[in-house]
Amino acid sequence: MKRERLTAFAALAVGLIFLSPVLYTIWMSFQTSDAYYTGRLEFTFDNYATALGQYDFGRYLLNSVLVSGAVTLVSLALSVMAAFAFARFTFPGGNLLFGAVVATLMIPSHISLIPNYLTLAKLGMLDSYAGLILPAISNGFAAFFLRQYIRGIPKALDEAAYMDGATPLKVLWRVIVPIARPAILSMGLFLFITEWNSYIWPLVAVGESELYTLQVGLARLYRINPGEGFLDWPLIMAASTLTLLPVLLGFVLVERHLVRGITMGAVK
Amino acid sequence: MSRKLTPYLLVAPLIVFIACFTYIPIFTSLDLSFREWDFLSAGRPWVGLDNYRQLLVSHDFWNALRVTTLFVVISVPIRLVLALAAANFLLRETRSSRVLRAALFLPYVTSTVSIAVVFSWIFATDYGMANAVLQGLGLPKIGWLQDPTLALLVIVIVNTWKQLGYDVIIYIAGLQAVPPELYDAAAVDGGGRWHVFRRVTVPLVMPTTYFLLVISVIEAFQIFTIVDVMTRGGPAGATNMLVSELYKIGFSLFDIGQGSALAVLLFLLLVVLALVKSRLIGRKVHYEA
Repeated sequence: MKRERLTAFAALAVGLIFLSPVLYTIWMSFQTSDAYYTGRLEFTFDNYATALGQYDFGRYLLNSVLVSGAVTLVSLALSVMAAFAFARFTFPGGNLLFGAVVATLMIPSHISLIPNYLTLAKLGMLDSYAGLILPAISNGFAAFFLRQYIRGIPKALDEAAYMDGATPLKVLWRVIVPIARPAILSMGLFLFITEWNSYIWPLVAVGESELYTLQVGLARLYRINPGEGFLDWPLIMAASTLTLLPVLLGFVLVERHLVRGITMGAVK
Repeated sequence: MSRKLTPYLLVAPLIVFIACFTYIPIFTSLDLSFREWDFLSAGRPWVGLDNYRQLLVSHDFWNALRVTTLFVVISVPIRLVLALAAANFLLRETRSSRVLRAALFLPYVTSTVSIAVVFSWIFATDYGMANAVLQGLGLPKIGWLQDPTLALLVIVIVNTWKQLGYDVIIYIAGLQAVPPELYDAAAVDGGGRWHVFRRVTVPLVMPTTYFLLVISVIEAFQIFTIVDVMTRGGPAGATNMLVSELYKIGFSLFDIGQGSALAVLLFLLLVVLALVKSRLIGRKVHYEA
């Protein structure tokens, strides 16, 4: 008993040390810049006010929420439909199409960077939410993962519903989706976090600062070096905390869902 | 009648997106790699292999290829070894192992830009934490990100710290699939812990190892964000990765043809690696009990 408590304490200590960069980010974000450079302790919320107001992080936060939310919802809707079809229907070309969906997991995304930029330029969608959202939906992971899950649901349930005269869409909505809800939630969370953290595409697709996501905004803030001659680290850390906090909060709430989603995708 | 159409209608929306933003771009890149274009001029004249030729004589390309390969070769084995050791240690379902797993996993879902920023502070020459520790020990300050070798090492450290949790989770899933009798049998045969680990654990998780190897090599070859924030490829190109070079050629110099040629080369490299590895996986799967 005593030994177990000791191990738990050691585990906690190791975990905290491992996470110290994240904890430092949060800690430093509440210090005043002067106090930080002189080694005193003096706490303030001003860094957040400055980041959100003067440096527009309020706007970036909104952009990140909108873009990640939209990508998650649209991706989930399209992936659930496709996963249902791949799991429950045998149709000519079905295996080929499923193969094409799975293969997207292995296709490195850098190859589409220039072409997607050109496509969106042609559509007049650079510097728009649509431009940030549309290419991110092209991802086969969710469909692959949800198909595996749906295949585990007894087919008798579908058949009973069909007997009652339900259409395929109704079966999907009334039978499959409610049963697969945990998997869909795990996947949604994964998609949201992935999009939230996405950097290179928003960097390429957006030139106007009103459309920056948090990731691009933070990288820019660090680069422009606020403060005279030295970096205003506490301000940067406040902006950084805003950038990572929503995901951290989500992580604390649903870590197990997330881990399950990722593991099930990787190991059958 | 419409029953036959149903599955096609259900998959169509996703397939359209994947076609437009993943598959067609592969061919677009290939086509553009044979043309000269600066994104503004009206014509896109066909120039054959010129773009590839220019790349292959460019110092920056070879440097990026060398640096990226070095990064992959150093960071992937470190990740896998650390991850397997950690997974082996955290296998049991106790509360402390769950806490540690969550801690290890957290950086994986945390914003890469945020992580790059805080590590920029840790390794900053002045007021940085690493140098504060050194000075506390009576040692001189080091310009971590100003030294070519150290800068690459720092990138490896940051990337390992961020990705480790993913590898650990996958290894734990792989280890949990190993039947416990096998450990017992090896222990009965008189094997110590290290013996059991080497003779039972390592061979039995081979499929997982190969899976992680493929995934992490492909992903490591595409490293961009950490470098873009922390060093911008410097000092003197010492951390300039292939995707950083692609970004520079394509979106700073607007040399669409040469940028596409670089994208195609990197793509081919990764596809070949994936194919080689998938053949290897096919062979090693026989280990499965």
